[in-house]
Amino acid sequence: MEQVCSVADDISKLVADTHIRIEVADTIELIDEVRVDLLGRKGKLNEISKQFGKLSPEERAHLGKTLNAAKQDLESKIDAKKGALELRALEARLNGEWIDLTEPAPGPRPGSLHPVTQVQRELEQLFTSLGFAVLDGPEVELEQYNFDKLNIPADHPARDMQDTFWLKDGRLLRTHTSPVQIRGLETLRPPLKMIAPGRVFRNEEVDASHEHTFYQIEGMMVDRDVSVAHLIYFMKTFLSAVFRRDVTVRLRPGFFPFVEPGFELDIRCLICGGSGCAVCKHSGWVELCPCGLVHPEVLRAGGADPEVWSGFAFGLGLTRLAMMRYGIDDIRLFMSGDLRFLRQF
Amino acid sequence: MKFSYNWLRELVDGMDTPPEELMRLITLKTAECDRMENAGADRIIEVDNKSLTHRPDLWGHHGMAREVAAITKHKLRDPVPAEPLPTAASPVRVTVEDFALCPRYSALVFENVTVKPSPLWLQYRLESIGLNAINNVVDVTNFVMAELAQPMHAFDAEELRGSEIIVRNARAGEKLAALNGETYELDSSNLVIADPECAIALAGVIGGAGSAISGSTTRIVLESACFNASSVRRTSSRLKLRTDASMRFEKSQDPVNTVRGLKRALALLEEVSPGIRLAGGLADSYREPAARPPIELPLNWLDRKLGGAVPVSEVRAILESLEFTVEEIAIRLFSVRVPSWRATKDVTIKDDLVEEIGRMIGYDNIVPTAPLAPARVPPSNPEREFHHHVREMAAAQGFTEVFNYSFVSEDQARAFGLDPARLVEVLNPIASDQNFLRASLLPGIWRNIRDNAKHFDSFRLFEIGREIHPEQEVPHFVAAIYAKDDGPNPGKAGLLELKRLAECLLPNVSVRRSKARGYEHPQRSADLYHCEALAGRLFEFHPSMVETGRAAVLDLDLTQIFNFQRDTPRYQSLRRFPTSAFDITVAVPARTSIGEVQDAIPLRPEILSIEFLREFALPDSRRSLSYRVTAGASDRTLSSEETGAIRSAVIEALTARGFESRS
Repeated sequence: MEQVCSVADDISKLVADTHIRIEVADTIELIDEVRVDLLGRKGKLNEISKQFGKLSPEERAHLGKTLNAAKQDLESKIDAKKGALELRALEARLNGEWIDLTEPAPGPRPGSLHPVTQVQRELEQLFTSLGFAVLDGPEVELEQYNFDKLNIPADHPARDMQDTFWLKDGRLLRTHTSPVQIRGLETLRPPLKMIAPGRVFRNEEVDASHEHTFYQIEGMMVDRDVSVAHLIYFMKTFLSAVFRRDVTVRLRPGFFPFVEPGFELDIRCLICGGSGCAVCKHSGWVELCPCGLVHPEVLRAGGADPEVWSGFAFGLGLTRLAMMRYGIDDIRLFMSGDLRFLRQF
Repeated sequence: MKFSYNWLRELVDGMDTPPEELMRLITLKTAECDRMENAGADRIIEVDNKSLTHRPDLWGHHGMAREVAAITKHKLRDPVPAEPLPTAASPVRVTVEDFALCPRYSALVFENVTVKPSPLWLQYRLESIGLNAINNVVDVTNFVMAELAQPMHAFDAEELRGSEIIVRNARAGEKLAALNGETYELDSSNLVIADPECAIALAGVIGGAGSAISGSTTRIVLESACFNASSVRRTSSRLKLRTDASMRFEKSQDPVNTVRGLKRALALLEEVSPGIRLAGGLADSYREPAARPPIELPLNWLDRKLGGAVPVSEVRAILESLEFTVEEIAIRLFSVRVPSWRATKDVTIKDDLVEEIGRMIGYDNIVPTAPLAPARVPPSNPEREFHHHVREMAAAQGFTEVFNYSFVSEDQARAFGLDPARLVEVLNPIASDQNFLRASLLPGIWRNIRDNAKHFDSFRLFEIGREIHPEQEVPHFVAAIYAKDDGPNPGKAGLLELKRLAECLLPNVSVRRSKARGYEHPQRSADLYHCEALAGRLFEFHPSMVETGRAAVLDLDLTQIFNFQRDTPRYQSLRRFPTSAFDITVAVPARTSIGEVQDAIPLRPEILSIEFLREFALPDSRRSLSYRVTAGASDRTLSSEETGAIRSAVIEALTARGFESRS
């Protein structure tokens, strides 16, 4: 009986002592020590169980249960304490890792594309979605392609309207993107739909609204029985996409040698809605682009038979469109290379 | 050109459309009206000349009135009297040397002329549309021009020598003192009106001062002629002299108008110069143009062109209101005769008739229709797409896109190593220092760096543009990084960032040192190669080119780079057996490059990769470079002996090159 009491006492004392040690342990090392002391090969629980040899089977069974219960209780308390200590250590570490996120980020600031490129890209994607090919043409052109094949022969008054940069070798800098109509007809062959964005040149004095180097985008669709009705539908559709809202357009007669009939296309002023303002010079309409049905001579010059094929064509001022889109009032900024301007886009 | 609303009303019976509405209708159907001004009880409509270039008939009120009559469906009144001019011989003989340059020359001689101010109604008419009233005779010529688009000129007959008028080419060096006070030196490309002794007027442009109408004039020769458009245009532009007359003749006027003009002038002169008499009859030297065949207009074709059906009666009504004559020669087939004033150049093919009908119907009345076409995938433009990809890549790495002009000066060209003899030269440059086309984007980028350095301490910019060479245009990508002060190793970061950009576009790019050009830092320039093909250049600007700070530049030939883009990669199965790696370190002499050492490591199939790890500075300015070599085989794990053998071989090769192994 004495032995039983002593073993039972040992167990109780171990539990009480260990509870205190657990409570007092305030580092992970200390709580680990408590565990090792208790549960290790040479730990206290093993020591006590060695005493079981002296006990009767009934006593062993009874104290065995008590010892087990004590072991589970202490283990769970050790685990809990360790968990708490680990949590506290983690919180302390995290707390010390404050970073000032308002600090400027290292590395270069984001770059940007030129505003004309942005508008151009948008138009290219729009037209590609409508089934148009995007073509390039040379900036240095032959007189044939810039004038003659577009039904603008020598001595034609239209040549006056296009102040041309002539080159010493007889070629010229293209005055519009229209030459690519002919090149497109020659390479793609009808039926076709194409646009041709690009840089064009006019020998004009530079001021806030005139430049000698600027950008246009040419468009053309050639198929069988293409009509004025198709042209109007088309212009309305893509202009509404360009201006991101429903636009009202009107066509009035315009003279261009490479189209017949030829039109000036106006859009109802987006600023005043048509009631009249400074932007539309109080007319309610803004002149936007020339367009028309492709002149049979142009089709012939591109190798297409005008009795079989017909088409429409239009020319948009890309630089002008960018000025309208972003509210830029000085055309010279586009070629200035000034980052104070370019970084805004 | 200015049009008086009241004058138009007088020429269109019953027209009562208010001026604003009339202006709107003219804009929609005929020509662009810019603005309207008040002029007492009248309104003056200003039409943009550019919208009249193809309409010689609209340079006078009668022609515009015809449009107004057609638009408002009223009747046009003809102010020209119906009675023919007397057929008696004219006291003046007219000789036209070349009818190609002067299809018709008509003239009347008047005597008992009294030159004095015109009546107020006539002065007012002229002044209201921007013409100056001078005296009754000159005013009548201007009035007829403003009404019928027929320029006329009055000579003081007493100042003419002989009784012959000759229309001929000027002789080289011939001079003419003109009405505007200037004296012009002419050549054979200029057509003149002359008497047997000398030139008296520049045909179709301006009269001579010698035969000008003055207060003492009592006899006049009144000219009403038609001159070749190109000839007048060339003379006008060469002598830099534009007049109301030359502007009209340039548009190819109808020769029928000369006699009409004289008839009108006769009636007006009788009114404004009381007692005036004709001397003799009409002098008229005329070569009639070849009859122009009628235009066949298939009505089904017309409907297809407009995109809507137009009633036959309406087609006829529109054409006839514009004085085309219409004959139905077969079912839904018209034969249309073009009136002479539209036939000089504007209406010649059936497509021109589409415009006549379309504009009169009003394009607003055409229902927009979607074109029906099979859905086709358009041909792609991979090179253009690639350029956009390059732009996006550059922007993503902090570069801002710029555009520069295509022009350079001779000095700029030389400064960047371009030989002006091999550049494309502009005949009529906008300025004397913009007379060559750029065969390099560098001058523009250099200017961008210089200008932006005034406002920013660091920046990155790029341009994609074409180098213009005599035989070809080559797209290039040029990027620059500028930093005023970037720390202990100035300029190095910029150069290596640009190299990284190049690697994004060309994964296998290799750098080879190259002799520096004049504008490059002598120790900081290299060519960029892809395999054995030259793809571009990387350099830092010579300090003489950059005032403060450093600028690094990358210049890539986009056509080359595009050709080197990767095809669709093919998957390679992952290694089944583990690889092993070892590091080696060598000490090399100063200025031996990392790449040179790496290239000295012999390639064997088991060497999978060689990676530069780090550099240590050595006290004697040699470099200590460390590399990691990864080795492996596809069919087995390499044994430690095999790996050891590879390592020894590598060290042996490096040592043989004179590099000291320090592993």
